[in-house]
Amino acid sequence: MTDPPLMMGHRCGGCSRVAFPPDPYGCEKCGAPASEFEELELEASGSVQAVATVHRHHHPKPTTPFTVGVIKLTGGPVVKAIVEGNKVVVGDTVKGVLVDGEDDNGNPVVDLHFRVAT
Amino acid sequence: MSSQGLLSDRPVFVVGTGLHPYQRRSETTYVELGLTAVRAALVDAAVSWPNVDAAYTGTALLGMGSSRIMLSRLGATGIAMTQVENASASGSSAVAQACLEVASGRSDVVLALGVDKPRGGLGAAPGQAGIQNLEGGSVVPFTHFALLASEYMDLHGVNDDQVARVALKNHRNGSLNPFAQRQKVRTLEEILSEPISGSLTRLQCCPVGEGAAAVIIASEDGISRLNLDRSRAIRVVSSVTRTEALYGEGIGIDAALTADTGLAAFEEAAVDPSDIDVLEVHDAFAIEELLYAEALGLCQPGEAAALIESGNFDIGGSCAFSPSGGLLAMGHPIGPTGVGQIVEVVRQLRGEAGPRQQPDARTGMAHMVGIGAVCVVHILRHG
Repeated sequence: MTDPPLMMGHRCGGCSRVAFPPDPYGCEKCGAPASEFEELELEASGSVQAVATVHRHHHPKPTTPFTVGVIKLTGGPVVKAIVEGNKVVVGDTVKGVLVDGEDDNGNPVVDLHFRVAT
Repeated sequence: MSSQGLLSDRPVFVVGTGLHPYQRRSETTYVELGLTAVRAALVDAAVSWPNVDAAYTGTALLGMGSSRIMLSRLGATGIAMTQVENASASGSSAVAQACLEVASGRSDVVLALGVDKPRGGLGAAPGQAGIQNLEGGSVVPFTHFALLASEYMDLHGVNDDQVARVALKNHRNGSLNPFAQRQKVRTLEEILSEPISGSLTRLQCCPVGEGAAAVIIASEDGISRLNLDRSRAIRVVSSVTRTEALYGEGIGIDAALTADTGLAAFEEAAVDPSDIDVLEVHDAFAIEELLYAEALGLCQPGEAAALIESGNFDIGGSCAFSPSGGLLAMGHPIGPTGVGQIVEVVRQLRGEAGPRQQPDARTGMAHMVGIGAVCVVHILRHG
């Protein structure tokens, strides 16, 4: 297991755009079909651009309160993900961490969260 | 794209408006909601139903085939009826289709109606695209906008109280609107209580209830032939729909879509942002009004919070923002919302907005965004 974990994104063969998550359809920038994408490993690390702690939620999971961040990955794309801890501020450097969880049906899943890098 | 000169070649006008109050979900059927608004619009326009050539119903939640079972109760005249779904902008798109139909010369008098009843969950299609992202179900719409609030406040050094003042204003405007779902004046302290997500509190998030809104759109030929009151006809000078393009990675996408759409609308109408006297904006969450005021060019980036605080966007200020109460106080029943914005702008431009009247309002704008992401802007002008 690498530290930080790696995220599987893609690079478009038509225009070189790097994107996450993997997309089975086509490129939003140049319209190339997904068959022209090559897999690309992105390091799960980046910086926090925006953060919100959620107090009320429509779904049973995750249980509140939890914190969501907008993270600019070191490799370019921007993702939203759960950031552990409630002391997260804009500008923090964060690293990915794999955590055991459950989906809405109680099945075990492994989630990628982020944590402020120390 | 814009309607590309059609609206200048063959002018179209709003000649009648009608509403059913926006309210919490009740036993009232959608048929009753819709008919109340349409009948009011027909009376307001002094148009009889057999003179209506076509109807567009903006609805996102009712399911298939909602129009005829409702509108046939005005008389089954056999006219074309079409449902229009464009997420939160469904009603705006129904208005856009009605304007296009009249401007094209195919019809002289067209109904645009918005009606909806929430059924629990929005059933949005993007979640069914089979694209798995990291956030999964953790980012619902209010958290999306809470993140935008975080980004905006960090960028411009704005605090929670300043964002909350958008809701303070819009709740005050809603208290003057008998059709609003929320009609209470609130204190800043009340608005800042009950946190939902990030800095957003319950009263900084729109209520999604039920209701209906209707407008009658007519050509000059229609106005002449039916001998309608020209002095109360408000011209639609632009109608623009855009979807999100790739503006860059991550930051400011929602605002960029609005900027893009607004620019095309100003161009089509040949007006400047400073000409707008009344603006009904997609304020589903308080932060949005600040983002869109700046994106539409009504002020400089980072200025909107101070302008809200100084009363610039109050009724009586330089531009009345969400005088109806907006989505925050009038409410956001989805299908009706975009049509209801046109109703408010028309009443303002006619000088018929009662205690909510923006003095000397000549030019008004209605702006909606929807999941997906889509943006629809209309500009209307008196005289």
